[in-house]
Amino acid sequence: MDSFSLLMQGLETALQPMILLYALVGVVLGTAVGVLPGIGPALTVALLLPVTYGLDPAGSLIMFAGIYYGGMYGGSTTSILLNTPGESASIVTAIEGNQMARQGRGGPALATAAIGSFVAGLIATLLLAFLAPQVVKLALSLGPREYFALMVLAFVTVSATFGDSTLRGLTSLFIGLALACVGIDGLTGAARLTFGVPQLMDGIETTTLAVALFAIGEALGVAAMTGPADRLHRVTGRVSMTAQDWKRSWKAWLRGTFIGFPIGSMPAGGADVASFLSYAAERKLTKHPEEFGHGAIEGVAGPEAANNAAAAGTLVPLLTLGLPTTATAAIMLAGFQQFGLQPGPLLFITNAELVWGLIASLLIANVMLVVLNLPLIGLWIKLLSIPRPWLYGGILLFATLGTIGVNPSPIELGMLILFGLMGYGMRLYGYPVAPVVVGLILGPMAEQQLRRALSIAQGDWLTLVSTPVSAILLTVSALFVVVPLVLRLMGRGKVLAAVAGDAD
Amino acid sequence: MKHAFLGAAFAAALAVPAFAQDYTIMAPANPGGGWDGTARAMQEVLQAEGIAPSVEVINVPGAGGTVGLAQFVADSAGDPTKLIVGGYVMVGAILTNASPVTLADVTPIARLTGDTQAIVVPAASDIQTLGDLVEKLKADPGAVSWAGGSAGGTDHITVGLLAKAAGVDPTKINYVAFSGGGEAMAAILGNQVTAGVSSVGEFAEQVKAGTMRLLAVSSAERMPGIDAPTIKEAGFDVVVQNWRMIAAAPGLSDEQKAKVAADIEKLNASAGWTSMLETKGWANTYLAGEAFDTQLAADIATTETVLRDIGLVK
Amino acid sequence: MTKGIVPERRPRGAAFVIAAGLAGLAALLLWDAAGLKQDGGYAGVGPADVPRMIAYVLLILSVGTVVAGIKGDLPRPPRQAPAPVLWILGGLGAQLALLHVLGFALTGAILFGCTARGFGQKPLWRGLLIGLVLALVIYGLFDRLLRLNLPGGPLEQLIFGG
Repeated sequence: MDSFSLLMQGLETALQPMILLYALVGVVLGTAVGVLPGIGPALTVALLLPVTYGLDPAGSLIMFAGIYYGGMYGGSTTSILLNTPGESASIVTAIEGNQMARQGRGGPALATAAIGSFVAGLIATLLLAFLAPQVVKLALSLGPREYFALMVLAFVTVSATFGDSTLRGLTSLFIGLALACVGIDGLTGAARLTFGVPQLMDGIETTTLAVALFAIGEALGVAAMTGPADRLHRVTGRVSMTAQDWKRSWKAWLRGTFIGFPIGSMPAGGADVASFLSYAAERKLTKHPEEFGHGAIEGVAGPEAANNAAAAGTLVPLLTLGLPTTATAAIMLAGFQQFGLQPGPLLFITNAELVWGLIASLLIANVMLVVLNLPLIGLWIKLLSIPRPWLYGGILLFATLGTIGVNPSPIELGMLILFGLMGYGMRLYGYPVAPVVVGLILGPMAEQQLRRALSIAQGDWLTLVSTPVSAILLTVSALFVVVPLVLRLMGRGKVLAAVAGDAD
Repeated sequence: MKHAFLGAAFAAALAVPAFAQDYTIMAPANPGGGWDGTARAMQEVLQAEGIAPSVEVINVPGAGGTVGLAQFVADSAGDPTKLIVGGYVMVGAILTNASPVTLADVTPIARLTGDTQAIVVPAASDIQTLGDLVEKLKADPGAVSWAGGSAGGTDHITVGLLAKAAGVDPTKINYVAFSGGGEAMAAILGNQVTAGVSSVGEFAEQVKAGTMRLLAVSSAERMPGIDAPTIKEAGFDVVVQNWRMIAAAPGLSDEQKAKVAADIEKLNASAGWTSMLETKGWANTYLAGEAFDTQLAADIATTETVLRDIGLVK
Repeated sequence: MTKGIVPERRPRGAAFVIAAGLAGLAALLLWDAAGLKQDGGYAGVGPADVPRMIAYVLLILSVGTVVAGIKGDLPRPPRQAPAPVLWILGGLGAQLALLHVLGFALTGAILFGCTARGFGQKPLWRGLLIGLVLALVIYGLFDRLLRLNLPGGPLEQLIFGG
């Protein structure tokens, strides 16, 4: 009850007109910068943080919350409309979202992303407010072996992004895993596949690979098409969601939220992992499996909810323990310090007012985001009616802007071209590009957690199944692999029997 | 702002031509880290105090700062408006990565701030003192797992130095490198590892809340307000400071170097910088001129030895 | 490929190229792993082990691709027009080569113009002009207003000042 009244007090402060204006400015700025491919939420917040310096704490806090949620949300717009994910957490959004946009259903795709983000943000922020201490206790009981098991589960479910050929899907995934080996090995400092090039020491930047494979590969593929132009990007039908869309979206939003929040609150989780798992879950649970890969709305609704819920989840270890578990959180920590606030286990007690002010700000920013973005959808969609030469010229300009702004080295730009060509080639021969990026993200996580777990246990492999959580996660992963295999074998047996019967 | 600018210009007039120059500070790390924080704090104070009219920060992340360092040396030679933030971690990274560009290729100006390292154990641990921990380490080095930052970084070096001082083979330590402070801290809080090493500031709130036990700090003297002995007091001759510095481009004339040094000195003397350090919780360890050069050379030598001992540098 | 032609199920040359690429990637991983110090420490799994494992799987996938190629089990790409691809790659290449000489706005204009030309927009100068305006707006907004550091060149100096 005490926390409730504190929250109300926070909301009251946040509802003053001036404060609301700051929230609006924050959301607009956050969305505008976050929308650029290659500029993720971390850089968005870092760039815009100084804007908040001049304001009083309440105004500054709320503008900051707006920038954070705006930056998280912005990436999905380009993913859906232009098949150009702005950051790693909106990669899977591109798979179904862009298909929807191609069928002229970009409006509903953007709407389900916006409303899903809102629903997830709302629920997750409330969970943060009332359950943070409990959730964090749970998250802390997980160590490297549990994270390794979680990564294995993510790997197994990643096959959902494979498209129609397992061989080509696995090939894509392992190309991604091979690329993931580039750089300094996190545990021993050994340089792998760097060939003495310093820029390769930190590995291949996820956003560079994603922007190249998706945006540049796509542009090359579309440009090289000789046949009659497909009706790509033509807006047909309504901009808003139909009753059917709502019906199919709401469960996905909720599932995404409940996948995203806990994973975001784990110190080694992250919004990208949450979005992969949500996509896999939607694909397994859908009543319309034939639509997946061709624009299934659940495949946008779930992951978008999941990555926003994970963004709120990240604040759990930050506010309860002072643990910045993502780059964005680390920058937020720096932002808090301007109010003399020292995140740590005592934060909720020593700075109750500010913490509840922040939570109230997040709620307001979340509302502001959906209020701003729903009407904007009509405008975003118009973007697609720009003639193709100008549209793709703009896409490539923005795609390279992200890379140039972050690291303007010729090697980074060279990689952009190289991977763009690779993306073009993969598209030609039906290789899906998403698993490459997924491999690049998950590979190092899985490897490092495995080696950490083994190191702590001094090489005892049994440690991997020595806790209930890790054992259950690994068993579930094994079932994911074995059950379809058995079913297929049984099915094939039946078919064979049927064939044999026919021959008789 | 205006009179501060005039004052600064007047002060500068004593040594060098009286003009305020713009700066571009490279933070050779991603946004959010200590170097980025230092660069952005400098940006704010340099501008607010009117020492420089306009300051830009660029991030060139990678490999413990060596990627940024290489790019800085290549692009900025002879340009007095280019600065780079660096630190002790860079010293180790240059060695472990066999970086072709070293700190000898830039013009170090001054050490600005520094963190003291702390050794902690989870609150639930039965280890009460650094002595207890070292006993365990001597009995079975593999059974003592250490959580800390990147391999070859300050945390790793601290553990290596401690093992060596305690007479334990440094190649035998079971150091588990985590990416980012948050993950290492979670492993310590979750009782996944035996002990943890990071900066005092990072652990301070946890120790205050009683979720971790602070065994020792790596400073030469006890730290005010911190209730823990130094490693030295506990009987092991180890002093480590994770310092951060500012360096200028290579190939500057003496006047150009003096101008930069004067601006940094002004920064250090400003009230804005003092209050900035206070809000950030950073210690002012300003050291410039020849004293800094000597210190730097000594640090590089010690680091090289210990990294060889750990087995990270061949 | 020398045997009788079965329509649609013909062996596919591209599959062999892809398979060779995968095998090459695997070889690269193995070669690099061989040069690493095998230092597993207490984990027993060292920096070279995971790349090796990935390389072995890539080799298996390479064999699988050959088999799929012989069976003709690879989608046949539609006819491709090389000119647009070259225009776009040219634009990207020009940006890469000239970025630090000409600055963001001019190279951005070249990229935009070449891409538009690749998509059939003529004449080239119109694309370049529109690209220049767009790139200048972006530069002003991001470099000057938001302080995202974009490389400037002579034109940026002229318009926005030092």
